[in-house]
Amino acid sequence: MAGMSGKRLQKELAKIQGVLPPGITLVSAPDLQTWHMDLRILDNPLYPPHDHYRLKFSFSKNYPIEAPEVVFLRLTTDPRRDIPIHPHIYSNGIICLDLLDAQGWSPVHNVESICISIQSMLASNTKDERPPGDAEFVRSNRARPRDINFLYHDPSV
Amino acid sequence: MTLRGMRRLEARRQMEESNFLLSKARSQNLNPPVDFRLLDYVTAYDDNLMCAICRCPFVDPVVLAECDHYFCRDCIRQSWGSTYSPSGPRGDCPQCRTPARLGTRSATSKILVNILDDLLVKCPKHEEGCPVSVKRGEVEDHMNIYCGYAYQECAGERCELPVRRKDADQGCLHFGVSCFDCHETMQKSTLENHWRSECAVRRVTCPRCNMHVLSKDLDSHNSETCEAVSIPCPGASIGCTSRSKRSQAQTHAKSCTFAKLAPVISSQKSRMDEQEAAQKLLSRKLEVLETGFGVMQGILYPKVSVEADDLAADESRIPFLDNSASERTLPPHHPRMFSGDSSGNALSPFDFPVPPTSRPSSAAPGVARRASPIGLPPSESAAALRQHDPIEAYNTNYDLASPGLPPPSTSGGPYVSPLHHLLSMHESLRDEMSRVNSALQELDGRHSMQTLNENLRTREEISYLGAQLAGLSRQVHWLTSTQLQRQSRSATPSAVAGSSSEMAGTSVEAAVNAVSTAATALRGAARMVSVGQGQSSSGSHGPMRRENSAEGRTKL
Repeated sequence: MAGMSGKRLQKELAKIQGVLPPGITLVSAPDLQTWHMDLRILDNPLYPPHDHYRLKFSFSKNYPIEAPEVVFLRLTTDPRRDIPIHPHIYSNGIICLDLLDAQGWSPVHNVESICISIQSMLASNTKDERPPGDAEFVRSNRARPRDINFLYHDPSV
Repeated sequence: MTLRGMRRLEARRQMEESNFLLSKARSQNLNPPVDFRLLDYVTAYDDNLMCAICRCPFVDPVVLAECDHYFCRDCIRQSWGSTYSPSGPRGDCPQCRTPARLGTRSATSKILVNILDDLLVKCPKHEEGCPVSVKRGEVEDHMNIYCGYAYQECAGERCELPVRRKDADQGCLHFGVSCFDCHETMQKSTLENHWRSECAVRRVTCPRCNMHVLSKDLDSHNSETCEAVSIPCPGASIGCTSRSKRSQAQTHAKSCTFAKLAPVISSQKSRMDEQEAAQKLLSRKLEVLETGFGVMQGILYPKVSVEADDLAADESRIPFLDNSASERTLPPHHPRMFSGDSSGNALSPFDFPVPPTSRPSSAAPGVARRASPIGLPPSESAAALRQHDPIEAYNTNYDLASPGLPPPSTSGGPYVSPLHHLLSMHESLRDEMSRVNSALQELDGRHSMQTLNENLRTREEISYLGAQLAGLSRQVHWLTSTQLQRQSRSATPSAVAGSSSEMAGTSVEAAVNAVSTAATALRGAARMVSVGQGQSSSGSHGPMRRENSAEGRTKL
């Protein structure tokens, strides 16, 4: 199983080192477990087009079968990266997106398609706000994103 | 027992342990079944043959009965996990999320399986040295029968350990040896692999260049640094076919034109690619802008599109800037373009459109005509002429400019159509015309002011002279009357009176002479004045002058 995950990630890496959709760039992929990608939202006034957002992908050994863990990172040193404001993104970077959950995940997704999904989720956003209960969630949450039971109530985004 | 002996014993114990483990593994399977998803494919394959889950060409493809999506059998099973259902595996299609179940084996197209089995792959043992590429359908056979790097049972007496097929005829190799170079203890059968990739100190002699290189670096030595390996000329990409040993490649490159040109050409090529990409981008931008421009023009001048074919028919009209043809070729529905006043004033080869607020253009020559007899200073009249010059220059400019007009067929020019070009020209000419008109008006005003001042002075002089003349004639009258009175009084008296009257007569004669000289002087002055009056444009002073001189004559 590990072999399959490695092989597939190698292929994906080779692909995204080539051409990527606009606004998505690979920052680093030191190994086949953690990748960093930068995201840019092109046509939404809420997110200036020169602001980049850092995504961290963590792959398990069962990668294509199991969803990767994807969170936004906040970097305080140069290059500075912030966590985009969105009603489904907590201020600690955890993204509430059914695609990244065990139920919503499908093994045909890949890093590129996840990036595009998150990009479009941000691009279609019109609310300049955090999710309800953000402060409390950020204070109390110790679970990993995949172990959180999100309630997907908003099919519009 | 020395420390060295102890270590050797320990190594031996470990070796026996691994022998035992290997024999256990062999009892299950000497060669583990090939995982097709880990194979390296030699040839490029179609993306449609790729499983969306493992991103490899399908391995044992199955089709989902409900949505016709294909996956590898193992992939879809792993993806669905262990959800058990009595009617066979079930789950949602990973691609379209339709609830689906696996199709039967016969549902998979045989053609697809054949295509997949014909893909060339590298032998799974290629990292250990097997150079063979086989069709994917034959990989199992290759591993089981042919591959020299696959394992089989050792031929040695009472030895059940695996050995590589190519080493099988060398007898049992399962005895301990120690590497010459690093003194590591291992089995003879693994020594080759150790030398090939692990031993950090073993050096071998390159068979070609006789250089000592690290054994594990031999491959890279051959491909990168070996002096005796023959490599193609650096100019091979642009046509040089020669190959030479790496050591002589430099000398060849010095004499080879291709090698000299190669970097230049490659840099040119990359630049050209860059330019082409940029150009493509720009042309796309231009296209977008042009469409936008066209749309905007459509909004601004909807008439143009209505008259488009009309204009297209008369496009030869654009060079109508040579004057005479213009009148004829102008269609009647362009009355605004040129005013109907074609009476041929000499200002320009065109008929100038006259702004309705300004006075008629025919006034301009009149002004010039009237101005000249007053005796304008030559510099001023030249300036007046120069006032016309810009118009002429303007016209010639336009004539020069007309060949530079955008060809009427292209819509991307500065003007959307000949009509618009002409309208703009018309506007600018009208501006010029009104400027000239105002200049002429100003000049005219100046002239009349000057004339007025001149006349005023002359009139004052004349009236002064007239007054003097009247005084003089009064005096003469008085003198004559006293003379006559004196003569009538002393007609009878003595000669004394006669002599005195004679004296008076001479004095009167002198006075008359003086008056007559004064009259000639006055006449000269009057002539002068009349000349001045002739110069002035006002003829109203003529009768008065004549009156004055007649009066003077009658008085005399």
